[in-house]
Amino acid sequence: MKAASFHLNLLKPSETLSSSPVRLRIMLPVGALLACIGLLVWWGVLFTQIVLTKTQAHSIEEDLAAKNSAHAEAIQKRDLARELKLQLEQLEYYKSGVRSIGEPLAKFAEVVPLRVQLKEMSITPPKPQVLLPPGLKVPLFGPTENVETQKLVIAGLTTKETPVVSLMESLETGFEKLVTSERKINSFKQDSAEIDGRKLLSFEVEYTMPERRFAK
Amino acid sequence: MNSELFQNMAPNAKRSFVVTITFAALATIIYLFCVQPSTSELATAKRKLAELQDKQYRTDLDLRRSSTVTKDLEELEAGLKPFREAMLVPLLESYSMRAKSLLDPLALGAGLNDVTYSDEPFRALPLPNPMPRQLHTRAAVKLDATGSYQQAVSFLLRLEKEMPLVSLRQFDITAQQNPRIQSISIVLEWPAKGGLTRK
Repeated sequence: MKAASFHLNLLKPSETLSSSPVRLRIMLPVGALLACIGLLVWWGVLFTQIVLTKTQAHSIEEDLAAKNSAHAEAIQKRDLARELKLQLEQLEYYKSGVRSIGEPLAKFAEVVPLRVQLKEMSITPPKPQVLLPPGLKVPLFGPTENVETQKLVIAGLTTKETPVVSLMESLETGFEKLVTSERKINSFKQDSAEIDGRKLLSFEVEYTMPERRFAK
Repeated sequence: MNSELFQNMAPNAKRSFVVTITFAALATIIYLFCVQPSTSELATAKRKLAELQDKQYRTDLDLRRSSTVTKDLEELEAGLKPFREAMLVPLLESYSMRAKSLLDPLALGAGLNDVTYSDEPFRALPLPNPMPRQLHTRAAVKLDATGSYQQAVSFLLRLEKEMPLVSLRQFDITAQQNPRIQSISIVLEWPAKGGLTRK
């Protein structure tokens, strides 16, 4: 015999008419359970991503380890190339400042007038380099200026001024490698030397030489 | 009052409340001890991966450029060769003695006499930017001799032909009684190895 069963209708009228007739005491635990499942899924996704990322990183590390020696060699070569390039650049500075004046000096002998006797011809030393400017305690590795200017001094004896003028005019063209147009007559005076009973005149002319430019 | 409320709750509601609280606690534990650490671990792993990928990219780029660098090196070596050949290196720690060994044939060939050599102060070369590790300098040697102007010029012409990277720094010729025996003084410069900018 079956026991009599009671059925109590505990639904409130508002619950009967609502769009979601599931009760709160059901929804709350289910919601909490779903939150747990959602978090577990999230964790699972994160875990998978971590594993994948670490696997990828590991394979890259292996790849880098395999290329390590070749890469070290490539880096060494690159550094060497950089060093040699800088060395070459500095040596190119030297090359651009090389002074070759054999030809103009040979030509110079041809333009000296007969009535001029040269006593001295000299290229003055360049100004000393300042590698320890005031205020610095450690000397510099290189000069701050890359241009050097020197003078060519020509001194001699003559009978009158015209041969010297002629010499200076001759030097105006064709001697660009030896002298510039900038010149200064340091002295022109009577000398104690004599020739054929005539007192000789001594002169000294100073020419500015073309700059030695130590640059590209 | 809260415990009274709980005591008065229907058994189903009580069970529901307990289950909800348990799941909520579990969710909190999962978030705090699993999800959050994993999030930060993933961020770290991704950062490390990005660094490695960057390193791999640079490594591959360096390796791809390696052949170009080899070619550049060959060109640089070819460019440096004339300078290396022209460089003045000391002979038994003496630059003037090296210069003597190089210049004597030319000086004697030009007819210069009483040739003597002495060291002159070196002059520094301007620096490229950035500086190379190995610097170069302008080594100088003074040559004193006697001879005519033509012989001095002949010496310079031979020198310029044989050693085009040797430069004239100073030149001085002073007339003596005999025009064939002038006093000649020439300071010449060579490229030479200088100091090191770093070890």
